[in-house]
Amino acid sequence: MLNQVGITLKSILRDRVFHGIIFSALIFLAIPSVASLSMRQMTELSITLSLSLLSFILLLLALFLGGTHLWKDIERRYTYSVLSLPISRTTYLIGKFLGIAFFILVVACLLGLVAAGVIQFSAGIYPPERPIAWENIAAAVVFDALKYILVVATAFLFSSVGTSFFLPIFGTICIFFVGSASQQVYDYITAPATADIPLFTKKAAMVVYYLLPNYSAFDYKVNAAYGVPLDGSGLLLTLGYFVIYLLAVVVLAALLFEKREMN
Amino acid sequence: MGGVKRHITLLVCICALYAAIILPFTRSMRSKPFAEKLGALPTVATLKFLSADQRLFVGSSLVMKVIIYFGGLTERAKNRIIIPPDYPAMSRTIHTAVKLDPYNSDAYYFAQAFLTWDARQFAIANDLLREGMKYRTWDWQLPFFIGFNYGYFLKDYRNAAHYYKKAAELSGQELYASLAGRYLQEAGQTDQAIAYLEIMAKGARNPVAKRSFFIRLTAFKRAKLVEDARDAFRKRKGRLPSSVAELVDGGFLAMAPVDPYGGEFFIAPDGSVGTTSKFAFKGSGGQSRDKGGAQQ
Repeated sequence: MLNQVGITLKSILRDRVFHGIIFSALIFLAIPSVASLSMRQMTELSITLSLSLLSFILLLLALFLGGTHLWKDIERRYTYSVLSLPISRTTYLIGKFLGIAFFILVVACLLGLVAAGVIQFSAGIYPPERPIAWENIAAAVVFDALKYILVVATAFLFSSVGTSFFLPIFGTICIFFVGSASQQVYDYITAPATADIPLFTKKAAMVVYYLLPNYSAFDYKVNAAYGVPLDGSGLLLTLGYFVIYLLAVVVLAALLFEKREMN
Repeated sequence: MGGVKRHITLLVCICALYAAIILPFTRSMRSKPFAEKLGALPTVATLKFLSADQRLFVGSSLVMKVIIYFGGLTERAKNRIIIPPDYPAMSRTIHTAVKLDPYNSDAYYFAQAFLTWDARQFAIANDLLREGMKYRTWDWQLPFFIGFNYGYFLKDYRNAAHYYKKAAELSGQELYASLAGRYLQEAGQTDQAIAYLEIMAKGARNPVAKRSFFIRLTAFKRAKLVEDARDAFRKRKGRLPSSVAELVDGGFLAMAPVDPYGGEFFIAPDGSVGTTSKFAFKGSGGQSRDKGGAQQ
């Protein structure tokens, strides 16, 4: 499996799409200038912009790597040569997934360091009224990385059954948007003011809420930008949710990949 | 070789066409009304869905858009090309922005700046600020702004004192406790406006906002000059002066102060000092009231 992880990492580093996406990280350099447009929250705006850019880059990486990697291997018939070796389909799939997940985590940490530099620079020019909550920023970056690892897992789930890159890419984008808004819908339908919504609609929304990944749980940008205290038990529960949901998706993807017909 | 030449010629022609169109295009874009520039803003629920995990970014972008728009108008106003700002659209945008990022202090600060003196939407400004207080629980400026709006504009001194006390508790600054006391005494309107504007101007880092506060501060300081001269006149003559000119003629003022907003200072029959500009550039104000304000 470690071989698969290594090979995946090497192929990512050779990928032109990856080079293009990483090139967009140069936008970080413009953040202090943009933040200077703020009236009285330059540092907070720097944090918001840095974390938003980091999040956007990770989303692109998760979509393109998660959604195309497996498909490309099958398309180039690389998968067939690998699977002719004494290696199971599950090992192959999990190796690929771990390679990309590890890569996402490393990129998040590196971009997190760049973001920290940008934020520190902005704070040097425009000292904030409240001290910067570095631990919240670190938590926001780490949980962002976990969220996008979950996005990669979803893309793998679609890749394990899809015959082109359309289903992995567009399916993952749809799940990403719905998963980011599901908490909002849940809060809305469970509010006392919405008692007149039909029971069937409520139940259907509940099923969707429990079934799809809740991406909004991983968003700690507000805590990072405005120093809003983090809830320790909430973080632990989110971590637990991540581990269990990820295992479920990866196992399901492996199961579907095992059953897939490959000629 | 001929093919390359043709391509270069074609490219040069396209560049020339681009150069010909870009200036009129930029002028047309600049003159677009704000609401048109912004386009139809989707509902908050739609924006929340579409922005996914980028809500703070979208919220901040909306606030920036309003600040840049208003900043551009201030620049033009300085050169006396006065275009009435679209306050309802600005207010709608700010309200949407705080739904996406309720912690954004720029939104509250800027809304306080334009919704009060310019758009005269005091209740809307106070509602927005009160909403902000639910999130920015450490921020003394929000109750300070509400207190000021109650005391100065709405003449509701009990509420003004209440919010100034809150500002004093949060900031630990005696000044606000003292202002709360002064509001209870219903005194010193101009003094309080000057104290408020000095705090706003001191806190402003954005050059456009800073300049806007300094202009207003200058206007109030000049009004205070007239008030001091009026008091001296009354003390000596035992009656109120009928005009600023009478103060100048009597030697109570060296010259009639100039209102930076282009208005003229006057003394009302009850002795209060005002200006025909109402402390705002021509074109501000009335518009939003006529349209029912900036309400969501």
